[in-house]
This record gives sequence, C-alpha cells and structure tokens, in this order.
Amino acid sequence: MSRQLVPNPLLNDCATRAIAAPAPGVPDLLSAEAEARVFWRMRSRVVSTLVEQTFSQARLRLSLIVGLSSFLWVVLFWLFLEGFQFLKNAVPNDLHDETVRIVFGMFFVTMTVMLTFSSGIILYSSLFKAPEIAFLLTIPARVQRIFLHKFQEAILLSSWAFILLGSPMLLAYGLVAGAPSYYFMLLVPFLVAFTYIPAGIGAIACMVIVRHLSSGRVLVLAILIGAVVAVTLGVGRSVTAGFNQNLLTPTWFREILDRLKFTEHRLLPSWWLSSGLLEAARNEWSESVLFLTLTVSNALFFRQLGVWTAGAVFRPAYSALYGRRVARRRTRVACIDRIAIRLTSMLPVQVRLLIVKDLRIFRRDPVQWGQFLIFFGLLALYFLNIRRFSYEVYYRGWVNMVSFLNVSVVGLLLATFTTRFIFPMISLETGRFWMLGLLPLRRETVLWSKFVFAVGGSIIPCSSLILLSDAMLRVSPKILASHQLTCLILCFGLSGIAVGLGAKMPSLREQSPSRIAAGFGGTLNLVFSTLYIIVVVLLTAVPVHFYLGSGASEGLLAYRPDLGSWLQFWLVAGTAASIVLGVLATVVPLQIGFRAFRKIEF
Amino acid sequence: MIRFDNVTRKYGKKVAVAGLDLTIPAGELFAFLGPNGAGKTTSVKLLVGLLRPNSGTVSVCGHDTVADTRQATQFLGYVPDRAFLYEKLSGREHLEFVGEMRGLDRKRLAAAVALVSEQFGLTEFLDDLTETYSHGMNQRLVFASALLHDPPVLVVDEPMVGLDPRSSRLVKDLLRARASAGKTVFMSTHTLAVAEEIADRIGVIDRGRLIFLGTQDELGQELSAGERSLEELFLQLTAESEGCDGKNAASGSGEPETAVSESGTSGTVVSESCVSETPVPERDPTD
Repeated sequence: MSRQLVPNPLLNDCATRAIAAPAPGVPDLLSAEAEARVFWRMRSRVVSTLVEQTFSQARLRLSLIVGLSSFLWVVLFWLFLEGFQFLKNAVPNDLHDETVRIVFGMFFVTMTVMLTFSSGIILYSSLFKAPEIAFLLTIPARVQRIFLHKFQEAILLSSWAFILLGSPMLLAYGLVAGAPSYYFMLLVPFLVAFTYIPAGIGAIACMVIVRHLSSGRVLVLAILIGAVVAVTLGVGRSVTAGFNQNLLTPTWFREILDRLKFTEHRLLPSWWLSSGLLEAARNEWSESVLFLTLTVSNALFFRQLGVWTAGAVFRPAYSALYGRRVARRRTRVACIDRIAIRLTSMLPVQVRLLIVKDLRIFRRDPVQWGQFLIFFGLLALYFLNIRRFSYEVYYRGWVNMVSFLNVSVVGLLLATFTTRFIFPMISLETGRFWMLGLLPLRRETVLWSKFVFAVGGSIIPCSSLILLSDAMLRVSPKILASHQLTCLILCFGLSGIAVGLGAKMPSLREQSPSRIAAGFGGTLNLVFSTLYIIVVVLLTAVPVHFYLGSGASEGLLAYRPDLGSWLQFWLVAGTAASIVLGVLATVVPLQIGFRAFRKIEF
Repeated sequence: MIRFDNVTRKYGKKVAVAGLDLTIPAGELFAFLGPNGAGKTTSVKLLVGLLRPNSGTVSVCGHDTVADTRQATQFLGYVPDRAFLYEKLSGREHLEFVGEMRGLDRKRLAAAVALVSEQFGLTEFLDDLTETYSHGMNQRLVFASALLHDPPVLVVDEPMVGLDPRSSRLVKDLLRARASAGKTVFMSTHTLAVAEEIADRIGVIDRGRLIFLGTQDELGQELSAGERSLEELFLQLTAESEGCDGKNAASGSGEPETAVSESGTSGTVVSESCVSETPVPERDPTD
C-alpha cells in the first residue's frame, strides 16, 4: 500500500530521516498537577506579554483607565465615608447597626445576582465560543482544567466592578466604625471567597443550560433575566408601596428597614459576608473567622461542583451546541430598511446604498447593539421615574440642573456609542476595500455615508430621551429648545469626530470592532468626545441655568437684577460659541479624515 | 489506526454523516474528498473529539474518542482548517506549551522543537510573537505543533489553503514521508490534484454518505476505464449522489436508506440504495 518516499529538496537529510525514523513512543499523559503547572506557565507568559505591551504601546489607555477608576474610587470612598458618618451621628445606636447590616445586605444581594449572570454569560462566551477551546479540546488536556482556566478568567473579569464598588464602601465603614486592623486584612479573603460562590453558580447553570437546552439557550437566558427583573420590580414596589405620607420620618425609616429584612436570610452568602465583616469591625474575631470559614468552604464547594459539572457535561455540551441545526435565515427588505431608504431618498444614490448596507449589518448583529439598547432603555426608565423626585423638589434651579445633567449623561452615552460603533466602521471597511475600492465611487462618499449614518442614528434616540427627560421634569419651553439645540450640536460634533478620527487612525489588520475601539485611536476618540461634551454643555447649560432656570423668587436675578443684561449676553454668546464649536468639531475632523482616507493604501 | 464504526452524526434533523464505516490502517495516507457541506469537516471533528457521534464509535489507535478522549487525542496530531495560536506567545512558547501538554520531558521537548523548527523553516522567527506571523508562517507553526510529539496519526483539514508553492510542496512531501514511515495520515481536502498526487487511498463523501472508496490503483482503473479525469469522476459521483438524495427525499424519509459499507483494502464502494448493481465487498476482518 505504501508509496515510494519522494526525495524532497526542501527537507534536509536530517529532517527527512527524523520523519521516517521510528518514533520513541507516545509520551504518557500528564498528571493533573503537572497539567496545572503547564497552564499556569502559559498564562503567566501571556499576561507578562500583555503587561509589557500595555506599558509600551497603550500608555494613554492605561493612564485613562487607571486615572478614571481611581477618580471613581475616591469619589465613592468619600461618599461612603460621609454616608456612614451621617448614619453614625444621625441614627440612634440601636438602629445604626441594623441599618448598616441592611445596607451591606442589599449591596451584596444585588452583587450576588449580578455576579451570577455576568460570570455565566462570560463563561458561555469563553467556554463555548472562543477558538482557544476548540484547540484545547484537541490536545490531551482535562476538561476540568480547561474549565478552571476559563473560570478563573471569568472571575477576574466579572468581579472587577464588584471590587471597585465594594472596596471603598467597606474601607469607609471600617474607618468610621474604628475597626481593628484585622478587619482590613480580612476584606480580601472575604471578597474573593464570596465572588467564587455566585460565579460558580453562574458557571454551573451555563454548562447545564448549554448541555440540555442548547437550542433554546437564548430563550432560557431571557426568561431568567425577565424573572430577575420581575422579582426586583416586585421587591422594589413592596418596599416603597404605601409611603405617600410621613416620608423621611422615624416611622417610615423603621418600616423600610423591616421590609428589607429579606436580605438577612441565613442561607444567603451575602449575609455570611456582611455578618463576618460587621463582626470583625466590632472586634468579635472568633465570630468573624467563623463566617469567613463558612464563606470559604462554600466557595470551595461551588468551585469543586463546577469542576465536577465540567467533567460530566462540558464535552457533551460543546458537541450539543455545535451539533444543533442552525436555522437558515431568510431576509427580506425589512420595514426599517424601507424607512431608511425613504428617509435618505434626498441623498445621492451611492450614499443611500452605503447607509442601508451599514444599517443592515448593524441591526443583524444583536451582540453589538444589545448593550446599547440596555443602556438607552435604563436611561429611559430613569427618565420616566424622574417625576417622583421632581415632586419633592421645590427649587426650580435643581430641576434645571438635573435636566442639564441628564443632557450630559445622554451625551456621554452617545460618545461611547460613536466610539464603539462609528469609529471602528472605517477600519472594518478597509477589510472590504477590495470591493468598495473597485466600485465607481469617490472615497469621500464612503465617509459621508458613515457620517450621515452616525448623525441619523444618534439624533433620534438622543433627542427623544432628552425630550422625555424634559417632559418629566416639566422644564420651560425655552430650556427645552436649548436642550434640543445642545443635543443637535452634540450629535453632529461627536459623529464628525468619530468618522474623522476613524479615517485618520484606522486599524487595518484588526477585524474586531471592540478591539479597534479599545485601541489608541478609539481611546483618543473617547477623550476628545468627552472634552467636547463637557465644553458644549458648560457653554449652554451654565448661562441657561442662571438666566432661564432661576425662578423670580429664589434665583440669582432675584438678588442681583443688575446682572440681567450680562447674563443675557452670556446666554447668547454661549449658545453662539457652542454652535461654532459644533461646526468646527464636525468640519475639521471630517476634513482631516477625508485627506487621510484619500491617501490610504490598502 | 483510525476506525469509524457505523458513525452517524446529525445536526437537528439534518444528517451530516450517515452510517460511516471506515478503517485507515497504519502507513496509509487517506484523502477524504467531497463538495462543500458533504460531511468532511464533521467527520474530522468526530475524529479529533470535538463532536460526538449520535450513534456508532470513532477510535484512534484503539481508543474511543468519546469514552477515552484524552488518550485518543494523545495519539493524534491535528491541523485544522482555521487554526488557533496564542497571539501573545512566541512561536517557541506556543510549541513548548503544546509539547508540555503532550507530556514531552524537557530534553525531548527541546530536541523536538529544534527539529520541527528546522523542518518547517521556523528558526528565524521562532521567538517572535505569533500575532506578527503571516498566514503561511501560522500554517507552518500549526504543522510543527501537530507533529511535535511525533503522533502515530495525523489529521489534516484543508492543508493547502493559503500556502505558497514552496510551502505546499513541503507539506505534501511531509505527509507522504509520514505515511511511508508507518504513520497514518487522514487528509480532508477539496484539492483533487493533491489527493491524486499523494494519497494511497481516496474516499469521496457527499451528503454524509461515503460514495467512493478506493486505492490509487483502483482509481486509476476507474479513470482509465471511463477515460475520465479525477475531476470528472468526482463530479459524476457527486451528481449521482444528488440524484440518489432526490430519490430518498421522494421516499419521504429524507435520510439515507442504508448505511454505507467499506471495502477495507480493495474495491469500489457506493451507496447500495443508489447503485444497486455495484458489488459491496465484505469487510476485511483484520481491520
């Protein structure tokens, strides 16, 4: 059967002999310990390269992340410090401990739910969708080791927000309560052990769902999220119901504490954590160590349960997921496309075609737009509930300030949108330039289409959200008009910056939008966008706040009527300056982008 | 060395691989041909343990790929069509990770890394991060990592895609050399000329069924008898299979009526349901 070995001029003698030489035998399989060491070595090499590259190539991004995180941490720490100080001084001793317990309980219960979901979702992506897994499953690695490798990553990824929010609160409490030094030392083991419990539950749920419900996994996740939202709304309603009167009285406070008692259920890990830390703060070390032992043993149990589950179901789950039949998707001209075609009918046909193409790509990728739907949805929910607060606020100046803060929040959300979606679009287009470049199309047309797409896609949700916020806050028509103008200036300027910078600093090799957005150009885009928002909002908001927002009885003009003409000038000048800035932010980056895009070689 | 025993794999109701019986002995270079969506990659994934059969068994050197997955993969080297490399590792570090996972001790690993680096022309850029590699360099590194532990069975999925003529020649000669050295090579490919040039035996799969299986000699007889090229034979076989599938669809089952048998070392095999007059030889009991 064997055919003659053909001498190969490319393989040297030594190599040919080696291929044909009898094998020394297939090596024995690694022990679990040796396997763990090999994985750790590989991971430490990857991490060391990443750290080295970050320090040498992404210093701006690193400084921004560290700077902003530190700023957020300090602000949170200060807020918690003030809050706990207030509790200590204002709440009677018998209620104080109970209040802190409830605050801790609520925080950790919320974190339990969020960590369960986030780790489950992260593990689904890293265990079932990552190309690395297909590679690891074809070498003799234990599935338990593969699971642990990804589980540890998921814990790191899902717990950073928990640490960022939890550590300032716990440190602040320790300082206010005058906790002994071991309270601070126990924070790390408590937090790490606690994180393992919800992460383990999320991991096990993820594997079991994929194993047994691989076709309906999205539906199951949607049902679970829906159930959690329903329970949260139910709890929220039951906690706040029946308080139309006697708000902020001792009776109301007592009642609220009673209604939140469910967070102290003895089977909740959050209760073990809060009790352990509170006992440590009270210098009851034996009680504290007891709760730490309880938390650690449960953490180890859930970790081990995860490992066993992986051993039993991971390979079958992987096979089931890739063995399901993927429904062939038939697409027609959707209603939204027809609307887009109609709305853009005034534009040149090439721009219109490019916009419709981008719209189709965007809406057929729910992973991309899903997170923004959640953000915009949460913001809409918040705006819808503003009325509750506005009834309590009698000073109109506060209402106006809140309304401008809302405009800023919408602007910042828009900046993340343009950074995440619009900025990478040009880089992604370069990969398809074999097609676009051969079409009878001016290169500027490609950028114009992105710009129109960005402006059109941002004006509608942002303008609607700001309108909703203003309607709920019942601001005056003049302020409403000013907000809409600000929104327009933001949408044009942010789109111009994203398209211009995207063309000037494209990532030609990268195909992942999130990685392009996280690169140097994306980070710079986010910084410029944030600065632009701050300047525009200050230019329009400050004079409007003082001139239009202040009521006759309590505003600035009531005390200093002589400033009226000066404020009027400031208002007009500020608005004019913001319009000029908006035009500059739109035109200048676009011009730079056009120039760069014309010269770019693919 | 490799054995598919009445293996069926479905995606929902769609049958990707239908009752596949196939044995590939040591020292054979087997080329698995078929049109897009025929079941080639599914068969490869069943072989390397990424997918599990709905029925039947797949084994490598006597180790079941489901019940004894780790042991089975230890006997395998796998070159996938879209390979994964750790971007933040250098070529050497990637090879060391794979070698250590395969249980090579330090001395043997160093020797193996040196050998495959030289063999695949990797030495010059072995200490560069793999994220800087071109497609051809990636492919060479993947081959090197698959052969690092000198496995008795090499599974290669579309090995020639994106390779320049020099690398392509290198790979063809390498596969041929391994088979001549007594190793088993399972190569899934679209490239008929490559299969014709280097394979000992060729199997053609279409719509999940093995519709042709024969050695180069038998293939030569088949081709000369009909005065056809391999391409023409391939197109005729897959067209017949399509007609056969149409018959099955008409019968209402939508699935093959009978399982496909295998010849062992001689003879041409096609689906019974499709060409009933074709003799189906008995299985070689030594397989």
